[in-house]
Amino acid sequence: MSTIAIISAFADDTDCAHAIHALRDAQIRDLNTFAPIPSHRIEHALGRSRSPTRWFSLTGGISGVLTGLAVTIGTTYEWRLNAGGKPLVSWPPFIIICFELMVLLGGIFGFTAFFLFSGLPATVAASGYDRRFGEDRFGLVVRCDEADAARIESILKESNAEAVVREEDTPR
Amino acid sequence: MSTTLSAVRRDSSSTPRPVESVAGTTMQLVAGAMIALGAIAFVIALLRDDAATAWEAYLVNLLFFLGVAQGAVVASASFYLTQAKWGGSTPYRLGEAFAPFLWVGFFLFFGLYFGRAAIFPWVKHPIAQKAAWLNIPFLFARDGIGLGVMALASRAFIRISRRNDARAWTVATDDIELPPHSIRVIAPLLGVLYAVVYTLIAFDLVMSLAPVWRSTLFGWFFFAGAFWSALATMALTAVLLRKRLGANNLFTNPVVMHDFGKLVFAFSVFWVYLLFAQYIVIWYGDLPVETFFIVQRVHHMPWSPLSVACVVLIWAIPFCVLMSVRAKQTPSVLGSVAALGLVGMWLERYVLVVPSLSLDAIPFGPTQFLITIGFLGAFLISAVPGLNRVAQAATSGEPAGDLVE
Amino acid sequence: MAAAPKVQLDPSFSDIDRSVLGVMSTPGLAYWTWIAFCFTLVGIAGAMWARQIYSGLGVTGLRQPVMWAIYITNFVFWVGIAHSGTLISAILFLFRTKWRTAVYRAAETMTIFAVATAGLFPLIHLGRVWFFYWLLPYPNERYLQPDFRSPLVWDAFAVSTYLTTSALFWTMGLIPDIANAREAAVGWRKKIFTVLAMGWQGTDRQWRHYSMVYLLMAGLATPLVLSVHSVVSWDFAMAINPGWHSTIFAPYFVAGAIFSGVAMVMTLLIPMRKLLGIEDLLTPWHFDNLAKVVLLTSLVVSYAYITEAFMTWYAGDPIEQMTFHMRYFGPWGWMYWVMVLCNCVIPLLLFSPRIRVNMVMLWVITIFVNIGMWFERFVIIAGSLTANFEPSQWASYRPSITEIMITVGSFAWFIGLFSLFVKFLPIVSMTELKEGIVWLRKALKKGYSTAA
Repeated sequence: MSTIAIISAFADDTDCAHAIHALRDAQIRDLNTFAPIPSHRIEHALGRSRSPTRWFSLTGGISGVLTGLAVTIGTTYEWRLNAGGKPLVSWPPFIIICFELMVLLGGIFGFTAFFLFSGLPATVAASGYDRRFGEDRFGLVVRCDEADAARIESILKESNAEAVVREEDTPR
Repeated sequence: MSTTLSAVRRDSSSTPRPVESVAGTTMQLVAGAMIALGAIAFVIALLRDDAATAWEAYLVNLLFFLGVAQGAVVASASFYLTQAKWGGSTPYRLGEAFAPFLWVGFFLFFGLYFGRAAIFPWVKHPIAQKAAWLNIPFLFARDGIGLGVMALASRAFIRISRRNDARAWTVATDDIELPPHSIRVIAPLLGVLYAVVYTLIAFDLVMSLAPVWRSTLFGWFFFAGAFWSALATMALTAVLLRKRLGANNLFTNPVVMHDFGKLVFAFSVFWVYLLFAQYIVIWYGDLPVETFFIVQRVHHMPWSPLSVACVVLIWAIPFCVLMSVRAKQTPSVLGSVAALGLVGMWLERYVLVVPSLSLDAIPFGPTQFLITIGFLGAFLISAVPGLNRVAQAATSGEPAGDLVE
Repeated sequence: MAAAPKVQLDPSFSDIDRSVLGVMSTPGLAYWTWIAFCFTLVGIAGAMWARQIYSGLGVTGLRQPVMWAIYITNFVFWVGIAHSGTLISAILFLFRTKWRTAVYRAAETMTIFAVATAGLFPLIHLGRVWFFYWLLPYPNERYLQPDFRSPLVWDAFAVSTYLTTSALFWTMGLIPDIANAREAAVGWRKKIFTVLAMGWQGTDRQWRHYSMVYLLMAGLATPLVLSVHSVVSWDFAMAINPGWHSTIFAPYFVAGAIFSGVAMVMTLLIPMRKLLGIEDLLTPWHFDNLAKVVLLTSLVVSYAYITEAFMTWYAGDPIEQMTFHMRYFGPWGWMYWVMVLCNCVIPLLLFSPRIRVNMVMLWVITIFVNIGMWFERFVIIAGSLTANFEPSQWASYRPSITEIMITVGSFAWFIGLFSLFVKFLPIVSMTELKEGIVWLRKALKKGYSTAA
């Protein structure tokens, strides 16, 4: 049996989420969506794990603090200049530098992680994409055996899918 | 269930289900006993010539509990101004629950008159240049009027906030309608008055105890800390009520706990920011007229560990512990952090006031402890009717906003 | 300029797309004339700067003791303007504010260009611009080290962090919108948008990571907003100059930054929505809420003025009292009272709900706010320096034509860059507006639409 992709479009993300719930209940798991806006309902329905990008951001933040400490304390000990009688290692100003670097590296690491995990820049288009999905329709792509196709299509139609199309599955 | 404003207005004529009183006779009796103990301890201390330290404890507690009570009312007003509908009407009732203490505080403030020699150094040693401002009649007049106006404005606000149209507005989660007109007038007024009056209180009752010292940010720092202590008290109350109320009360909703946690987290960061803003300016300028205040509290024993404890309790613990979403939603965690934070904020008031009056030793013994208990009892007893209203609101089955996005 | 198609009272996602993408139509002669005008002024400013680099800072009016004047004023002013964008995009995102979506892109864009403008001024102020790299901690044999105990170094870190983080946040938000624009575009625009959109297709995987990082960056940007303008204020508060050494500076400057920034957002968006025909996306409801932010921050700024005045009297320091007396009643006293009028008195009009939805009144009020806030920075920075500790050093200051033209050029640079953005990239975040379409529909139904 060949695998096919069933592409459906929904006008409402509630309907799309409903379809996803129904499909997952029916043990059909190979699902992907396209959406013009981020939808908590769809994300919740798909039930994927929380994005690991937050660990990257945390790592970046911690690196920022450590870099700040290293740069400030290190350079102060290299050039032991007396600045207004303040101690060589004065924590109030150094905290500011550490804070700024924490935000900077936390942001950069998180931003980079976003690209890494999202697969951007994506040179190959994900199969099933249609320009409607960037404008006002939520797309649901189900990959399955041809045998299951009819069952899946009926579930989709029950959830108010607007257009249900079968396609040969192209490698993602 | 339709949650547009018009639909809720149609429903609002039905009264909420009555619920067993959460602040019942036991609590009132205990609070009454606490008040009695505190009063007795205070009087004994006065008779025993321990006046100074007794008045110090009186002042510290007055500042702390007034701050919580007033800050909570202002929190309710801010919820209206930011159109907060995450908890229906319950957060508003929570903020308003402690308001009767404002009258207690108002009268207790005038009690300070009898301890003026022990509290204000400039009574025994007047300062000519500041005499136009730092003199007893003017101080008691302006602060008394300020606290009186605040108590009156708070009462007016609460009356308007308890009306049906305001309550209906708080549960109309699907609407962008602004709150009722009278709220839109009184809430900003309350906010402005709070900033002005509590700045005055901070300058007069804390800063003037070290009359040479000044910090332009001090008033803001004080009332921001009071506001945070109010939020922490509201969060702690929510956690405590959660168990006492029936099943499916509003406080069992993790989103509501999460939002309380976010408020406690965010404003503790704001507090430490204001603290740092003062510290770094004074540290960098190194002007003796400014630095002595901080040196006394941060760099000298016996106050140094207490100052560190304040920062740990008010900022470090909430920051580290409440960073994660799950921690904010766990009532035991949120409650403990809030309770510790309140201890920290009480300590902060103590560290701001007492070193100016008794620098060399920490005057904290049974007397001061009992006076604190007395104030706490007064605070609890004034909260009784308000807490029952909170219980009603939390069990009335109101829809809370932002549950599904 | 062709106006974008109007949305219906009950707009759909496609209506929003068409309206916003319609703004990016081919610009006409009026537009290019405007751009030419802006960049001509920028060119003049550039020439003035070149002359200054050649001849030295003597061509400015800077003389002892007033060595910080218009350039630093402009620096603080533009960094302040930048804060509104991050407030609206990051802080209001965390508050789940409903009216933020339509204005957030324009405000965030303003942030980027304002920080870029601000960042030029320390360089302009350097005189020997080519030595700017001495600020970086590189190994050298001349005992040169950036003194991390100096607020100027904190400033360098804070402003660069702010520029970078805002740019990253702005870029992230743009990607889904550019992908949208890519679909509707043709020709060379389509090629550019395809590259810029980086293959975004709104898959669940992409949205999942996007939402998490967006939330994290909003959470990082929030304390950043507080810290950046606090650090800028500490450029002054760290000194022991009377009029500068005040603990309230940090939160007061932050409030002032949000004040002037949101006012500038309104000053730009009010004519823009009319010219581009997107009045039904940027409704009076949005401006009502923006006006309330302006009013709140105006009250905070007034509180700071009053506290400072009181504390000067209370502290009893004769030099500080003299400085403030000069500030209120000295030769530049008129500036102080213009500032009070613009910052404290005129914004009180915003207590009126009818004025808050009157576009003309709002535009006039926000222009006054910007004038007032520019004067505030000047009064604090240059004013305090003219009459410092030592009376024998007192002197006045008059800006030279170089400084004036560079100031004018900075405004032209900012508005010119913003105008370029408006025509070539989506000025309203279609993605976020669609997410919040429920609220837009309610605003339109409540009569906030039609020409106002």
